[in-house]
Amino acid sequence: MSNNKYKVLIVDDEANIRSFIAAILESNGYQVLTAETCTQGRLVAASHNPDLIVLDLGLPDMDGGALIRAVRAAGSAVPIVVLSARSDESEKVAALDMGANDYITKPFGTAELLARVRAALRAARSAAAAPGEVFHVRGLVINFDARTVTLDGADVRLTQNEFNIVALLAQHAGKVMTYSALIQGVWGAADAGSVKKLQVNMDNIRKKLGARPGENPYIYNELGVGYRMYSE
Amino acid sequence: MPHTDVRRVLRCAALTALILAGALLASLLLQEFMTTDAVVPALFVLAVFLVSLFTDGYAYGIAASLVSVLAVNYAFTAPYFTLSLTLPENVVAAFVMLVVTIATSTLTVQRRRQEQVRSEVARQTMRANLLRAISHDLRTPLTTIYGSCSAIIENYDKLPKAQQVKLLGEVRQEAEWLIRMVENLLSVTRIDGGRVHIVKTPTVLEELDDAALIKFRKRYPGQGVEVSIPDEFLAVPMDAVLIEQVLINLLENAVQHAAGMRHLWLRVTCQGQRAVFEVADDGCGLPRERLGDLFSGRMEGADGGKNMGIGLSVCATIVRAHGGDITAENRPQGGAVFRFWLALEEEPAKEARA
Repeated sequence: MSNNKYKVLIVDDEANIRSFIAAILESNGYQVLTAETCTQGRLVAASHNPDLIVLDLGLPDMDGGALIRAVRAAGSAVPIVVLSARSDESEKVAALDMGANDYITKPFGTAELLARVRAALRAARSAAAAPGEVFHVRGLVINFDARTVTLDGADVRLTQNEFNIVALLAQHAGKVMTYSALIQGVWGAADAGSVKKLQVNMDNIRKKLGARPGENPYIYNELGVGYRMYSE
Repeated sequence: MPHTDVRRVLRCAALTALILAGALLASLLLQEFMTTDAVVPALFVLAVFLVSLFTDGYAYGIAASLVSVLAVNYAFTAPYFTLSLTLPENVVAAFVMLVVTIATSTLTVQRRRQEQVRSEVARQTMRANLLRAISHDLRTPLTTIYGSCSAIIENYDKLPKAQQVKLLGEVRQEAEWLIRMVENLLSVTRIDGGRVHIVKTPTVLEELDDAALIKFRKRYPGQGVEVSIPDEFLAVPMDAVLIEQVLINLLENAVQHAAGMRHLWLRVTCQGQRAVFEVADDGCGLPRERLGDLFSGRMEGADGGKNMGIGLSVCATIVRAHGGDITAENRPQGGAVFRFWLALEEEPAKEARA
């Protein structure tokens, strides 16, 4: 047994959910810590310095958001993946804007959980380094310095804003970028027409990347929340 | 809301004026051809009756009857073009008009109240049906889950591994089905009989279709869907998660009930001020006797397969809460088509009319 496994902290008050998430993660080579409440979660996070936190938002003592704020306020960049109910986009957006890195909608399967955990850990690793000059996922290659995009070897002609959006998504590949985070990153200040501007730009990007409804191989759209660039 | 109130008052006042003007005009015209002493009061009684019938409350009717009494008195009864309020026949006429007004208005108000009660009852019935269908539908998967898990736990050493995996697979399948059911229920509670105002945000059609199709493909990887949407960029105001649910339910409904289906279509078109969504299949079509109450949540007779009532009635609840409508019919070429529309632009102040 090697002792250099990733440490994952699971904060959830439901014992059954904790135990199955722990089972999945342990059987895939992660070391698991658990906490039942927000307070306990903060203690464990501070004392064990986990590599990733999986956080349920509905905790008995405090809202899970309090944990996100506390961790970020302490200066930690540890990736946080939030467990969220399906129907509450505003809750997801709030958690992401508070500093969570990603969310998983309950109920979820093994594959989805593992994919999100891997993506969050990978993003944390690459964020520490300088933004790479080249990003590629399957046929899509983005060269940040040359500001070029190619798809299966062919040039994709993007406008300045379109490129900025794609680049921003790629720099955070695997992570959902909320509408407001994208607007902030591309245009700076938001105004009444910002979301529409973003939507129109995304529409053009999709067309240029040859996406069709249901076959959108590079950018996943999270209805009501934002967009996510696939990272694998 | 005050905006709509003012509009209603204006509408009622205009209607009152119009009806009275009509009665006056008819009286003047008829005067050319006949002695109208008997006809004119009758005409104005009719006018007052119509005003009471088509306006809100008592006020317009009473105003109309006062105007009528004065008009009849002044212009159409001897002595002509004088007001003679002391003549007993005029007093009686005025009294009759008032009685007609009050009686009609009372009946109208009562009728409206009854309609309200009836629609409330219909809503309650729909809820009761839905609840019954749900509890019925929940029992079957729960029985499987409980039974299979017990079988595995109690016979862990005896059951061959392959069989255990098979049982667990069924448990997972039933659990997935329960999840979908709960999603549907959540959607309904989010609307709750139309009382909660739906928060609409402009949603890009392509993104909506994309999200719905990705979820649908996850559940039915083998099932192809032929998609067509307008080429231009279109954002329709809606609660995207709820409309996504409608699309998934309709697609899923086709998979489960359109026996012999070879093609499944999802089409969106723009027709005037509406975005029209269509989910069509070339399966066995809808049984004629079910066409009338497909969306009512009514349970199908025997407890055979899964009930299509819940998913469809959830669709209807969601679409209607958006101010749109949903219909179903059989295609002439065979198969069924479910069609619903949403307004392309938010209608100003149409909410809050119980």
